[in-house]
Amino acid sequence: MSRIALLLLFRRTLLAIPILLCVSALVFVILRLLPADPVAMSLPPGASAADMEKLRQAFGLDRPLPVQYVIWLGKLATGDLGVSIYFRRSVAELIATALPATLELVAVGLALGVALGVAGGLAMFAWRGRAGEQALDLGAAGLMAIPEFLWAILLILLFGVAWPVMPFIGRLSPDIALPAPLTGFLLLDSLARLRLDVFASALAHLALPAVALAIGVAPLVMRVLRSSLLDVIQEDYVTQARLRGIPERTVVVRHALRNAALPTISLIGVQAGFMFGGTVLVEMIFAYPGLGNLMVDAVRNHDLPVIQAVGLVYCVLVLGINAAVDVLYLAVNPRLRTPA
Amino acid sequence: MDVLEARGLEVSFGAAKVLRDVSFTLRRGRVLGLVGESGAGKSMLGRVIARNLPEGFAVTGGALSFLGQDLVTIADEPRRQLLGDKIAFIPQEPLTALNPVMTVGRQFDEHLARLGAPRAGRRERAIAALAELRLRDPASLLERYPFQLSGGMCQRVLIAMAFASGPALIVADEPTTALDVSTQAHIVQIVRALQRDHGTTLLFITHDLRLASHVCDDILVLYAGEVVERGPAREVCAAPRHPYTRALLAANPPLDGAARRLVTLPDTMPGLAAFASLPGCRFAPRCPVKDPACAAATPPLRDIAPGRAVRCTEACLTGAAAIVDAAPPRPPAPPPGETVLALETVSKHYPGERDWLGRRRPGVDAVKPLDLTVRAGEFVGVVGESGSGKSTLAKLVMGLEAATGGRIAVDGKDVTVNDPAARRVRLGALQMVFQDPQSALNPRRPVSRLITQAMEAGDGRWSEAERVARARALLEETGLSPDLLGRYPSQLSGGQKQRVNIARALCVTPRLLVADEIVSGLDVSVQAQILNLLLDLRRERGIGLVFISHDLAVVRYLCDRVVVMRHGEVVESGDTDTVFAAPRHPYTRALLAAVPPEDPDRPWPPEPGPAA
Amino acid sequence: MTPRTRAALRRCLASPRVVIGLALIAAAVAVAILAPFLAPHDPQEQDLLNTLLPPAWAAGGVADYPLGTDSLGRCVLSRLFYGARVALYVAALAATGAALLGAALALVAGYFGGWVDWLVSRLVDIWMAFPPVILALILLVGLGAGVNKVVLAIVLIDWTRFCRVLRSEVIVVRRRDYVAAARLAGFTHAQTILREVLPAVLPLLITLFSLEMGIAVIVEAIMSFVGLSVEPNVAAWGVMIADARQTMNQAPWGVVAPVLAIFVTVLAFNLTGDGLRRALDPRLVTSRGEA
Repeated sequence: MSRIALLLLFRRTLLAIPILLCVSALVFVILRLLPADPVAMSLPPGASAADMEKLRQAFGLDRPLPVQYVIWLGKLATGDLGVSIYFRRSVAELIATALPATLELVAVGLALGVALGVAGGLAMFAWRGRAGEQALDLGAAGLMAIPEFLWAILLILLFGVAWPVMPFIGRLSPDIALPAPLTGFLLLDSLARLRLDVFASALAHLALPAVALAIGVAPLVMRVLRSSLLDVIQEDYVTQARLRGIPERTVVVRHALRNAALPTISLIGVQAGFMFGGTVLVEMIFAYPGLGNLMVDAVRNHDLPVIQAVGLVYCVLVLGINAAVDVLYLAVNPRLRTPA
Repeated sequence: MDVLEARGLEVSFGAAKVLRDVSFTLRRGRVLGLVGESGAGKSMLGRVIARNLPEGFAVTGGALSFLGQDLVTIADEPRRQLLGDKIAFIPQEPLTALNPVMTVGRQFDEHLARLGAPRAGRRERAIAALAELRLRDPASLLERYPFQLSGGMCQRVLIAMAFASGPALIVADEPTTALDVSTQAHIVQIVRALQRDHGTTLLFITHDLRLASHVCDDILVLYAGEVVERGPAREVCAAPRHPYTRALLAANPPLDGAARRLVTLPDTMPGLAAFASLPGCRFAPRCPVKDPACAAATPPLRDIAPGRAVRCTEACLTGAAAIVDAAPPRPPAPPPGETVLALETVSKHYPGERDWLGRRRPGVDAVKPLDLTVRAGEFVGVVGESGSGKSTLAKLVMGLEAATGGRIAVDGKDVTVNDPAARRVRLGALQMVFQDPQSALNPRRPVSRLITQAMEAGDGRWSEAERVARARALLEETGLSPDLLGRYPSQLSGGQKQRVNIARALCVTPRLLVADEIVSGLDVSVQAQILNLLLDLRRERGIGLVFISHDLAVVRYLCDRVVVMRHGEVVESGDTDTVFAAPRHPYTRALLAAVPPEDPDRPWPPEPGPAA
Repeated sequence: MTPRTRAALRRCLASPRVVIGLALIAAAVAVAILAPFLAPHDPQEQDLLNTLLPPAWAAGGVADYPLGTDSLGRCVLSRLFYGARVALYVAALAATGAALLGAALALVAGYFGGWVDWLVSRLVDIWMAFPPVILALILLVGLGAGVNKVVLAIVLIDWTRFCRVLRSEVIVVRRRDYVAAARLAGFTHAQTILREVLPAVLPLLITLFSLEMGIAVIVEAIMSFVGLSVEPNVAAWGVMIADARQTMNQAPWGVVAPVLAIFVTVLAFNLTGDGLRRALDPRLVTSRGEA
């Protein structure tokens, strides 16, 4: 099992390389369509043409496009993502601080969304044909009609403004000194240093954005799990298990649920990828210092080095999630790990 | 002692009585066959026992008791206790009846645990149970997943599980229908041996009267939800009394003896919706000897001899005897014309697909180099089990797949490469009738546009009136009413769909039809209608036929020449009568031996081969 | 009309989801078209004496501004009505474009298979590596801001939604014998695709189209929220939310009103799509007899 999982991961990584090359080339070309001049925007008004030319050369923007791309790729290979035009800092450094924050947010949001979704799906299945199912179904339809970023605003309105019980700005209360980063993941770092005050504050700050993200995932997980359970329960092997006198609860848990999990896992993989997209606006709205916030700032300021680097990081994350889901799928589906 | 007893059992769907007045007793250690075509209601009984009736169906009268316990009124929990323990089931589709994500061992273990076996000896018990079925290396079998096993192996595992509890009753619903003929013979042999050894009572549900005559002690023949005939299996098959039983046997082509034209009944069995308009004998509308009284009131099931009962009047019974005797001999084959199709060393290799790790699986030689010529007016049968490459052969002939080697000629012109010119030659001379009319008929086209679809092709310069005229002619030729012109496939019966399928192939007046398993999904009586239609088409049009089938009896009835295929290779070919009378290749002999013979007194199934 | 189509239509009209969804869509379209007649004010008209007014029914509300005013004293209700124009314009155009592009590629890839399918599938893989929002942001940086650029971006991103789902359905239909039969009846590939395959996947296409309209409304709102869609002074729901967020503490209704508008519109498209899926999906119908 574990050897096959490693093989799969290895193959996934190999396949990811051409995809990432295509993705980076795509991003590079799109960004060079840009009508506005990022250099001009980053200089104070009244800067001389010579100043602008100098800066352009400094960022390598005066070279032909393929040359720029190859140079960028070469630097990328050595871990050099360039310098932000707007922040005037190393892009790698910017990403290194922002990435753990985003990963922490997505991990909590995804866990919450999947937990709620699975619980809801099981409840819908248990109440099939009854009013409870209809109510949950309508609830899901309602939740899905509001995108994550609007949930973010509504949650702030509810729990930050109307009934101010939750913090909604940043990762940590301003009165708590940020401990020296160990991993960059606040929840882990605080536990490692036994700083429960930091842990509590970080968790409280994560709550609203994570809920906003979870609402985007939970209804979908719920519906897919419910409908796969309804499909699976009609399968011959479920009927045959019942005909062997296996109690209904065992039939559902042992025979139906494991088979119904397969399409649900695929869906969670796709949704986890989308969730990284969802973090962009949610982070911006909660002033949460993650990749999304960095991306929005970069987009507003036409900060090309940051945009293309962060865009690429998002793609790496999505491909990583896909690989992880594949391994999980492998663990649940014996058909993939055993030769027929 | 009676294990299962039904008294006036009635199952309804709304106002329609799906089972009407079903009564029988099944004594300990006996095998009762429940025989009927699809829609006869034969599966309902098993579903009543398991309380697994489809939605909207309910038991509305009578009683069904198991060892004195009423199964209709029993509460859910005690019924669950009976299932798997005292009453076991052998399913129809073995491949889907085992959970795909659990090993065979886990499922067997779960079953033994449910029977209350202590954990310690369960593995040994499972191994012993599988060994009893002559499955090779049962210990390693336990580690495998269902998708790694063949259908026959899955079925053996399920049979072992069914017998594990030493049940009083086993319900086997079409346990061999999804399997190849040779596997079917093995499975039947195993079930019979276990049943005899354990003294188990067996309820054997099947559509195949001939199979039932060899497996069962007694038979109930069901028609449209009613028992029409009941009696000892051999007697019922050797001397059927009810006109339906007679017709059913006469519609089934034999493997030996003189070929007579098959006797066919008009139309098909009435469905649920028609039951309300049939207050009397439900067979009356199709009965060749019916009497006006039959349509008004159902005749009772009356005893005519010890252990034998028939639901028919005395007058009808005497008249029915005439049906079979009246059958004329099968029309002789006309002298064949010029060669239409010629295959020279044609082969097809499929490269293996890549798996998720990117490793290429080994490829398959679906068809190994093969020669075949078919002349106008000639009927050639291609026989083989699943995986023999017979369907690939049809696709190669029709140009739906490209051959990897060899040469295909139609009317002497090379059509190996399916370019537009070859396509014109090929499609002018050859047409195909597909296996599954459900899949072959576009549900969005009415019959008139389906059968004249070829007139739409290219620039489509036919007027609407010309199309309708052609459609009418084709319907008439295939024995369909012109009322069907505006119908859609979903509104047709299985037999009607297959006739439409044939009519479509006839639209371009081909000289050769390629028919891939076109009667395998049909009931015997409808199958007989289609076979006779094909013979009539030869007489009227001089058409030739490549008939691909797994059913040897059907091929014997229809074809002048036969080609036996196995693993993509032709193992034997020749004149049909010669091959069937004196098969040379052991595989042909094994295939023939696996078919239940017409004579119920001939011992069958044959002694089993080596363990799988 | 085939009995199957008729039955499907009947199931659609019997579905409360479809009926409610279509009614809401019709209402939204009517509001968008009739905005100049329905709106009490010009959406750009500023009334600096009456900024951040609450809705008319709340304390301090004015009947002249039924849903109150924003921080520049513009009528929220009027801006909401005009915002519907932007949202529906983007939804209709973007969904049509994405559907045409995605369906064309799916039909070609699924029908012909082989290298065509390989190429389209790899293209989809590359696209799927982007979270859609990220790709949209990058595209709009490259293309420049503007409502038509947003439409173009959605088409260039969401064709994959159609392509992925339709392709697998086309592959299923392709295996049906009636497609082979059409070829044997002499149909060209184009005839086979258009007359046999396309009608079979049409129900799915309609369903996806409806769902895509909802997605397009959301994407437009996101892009106008971050200032990459319409000009800042044009009334769009995302712009309204972004403006009102600054004054959320004093005037929460300024946020709530456009959020509700988005909710109702997206819900309408989702309900319609969902109801159509249930009514048209043959698997759902046969396996559960569900209407």
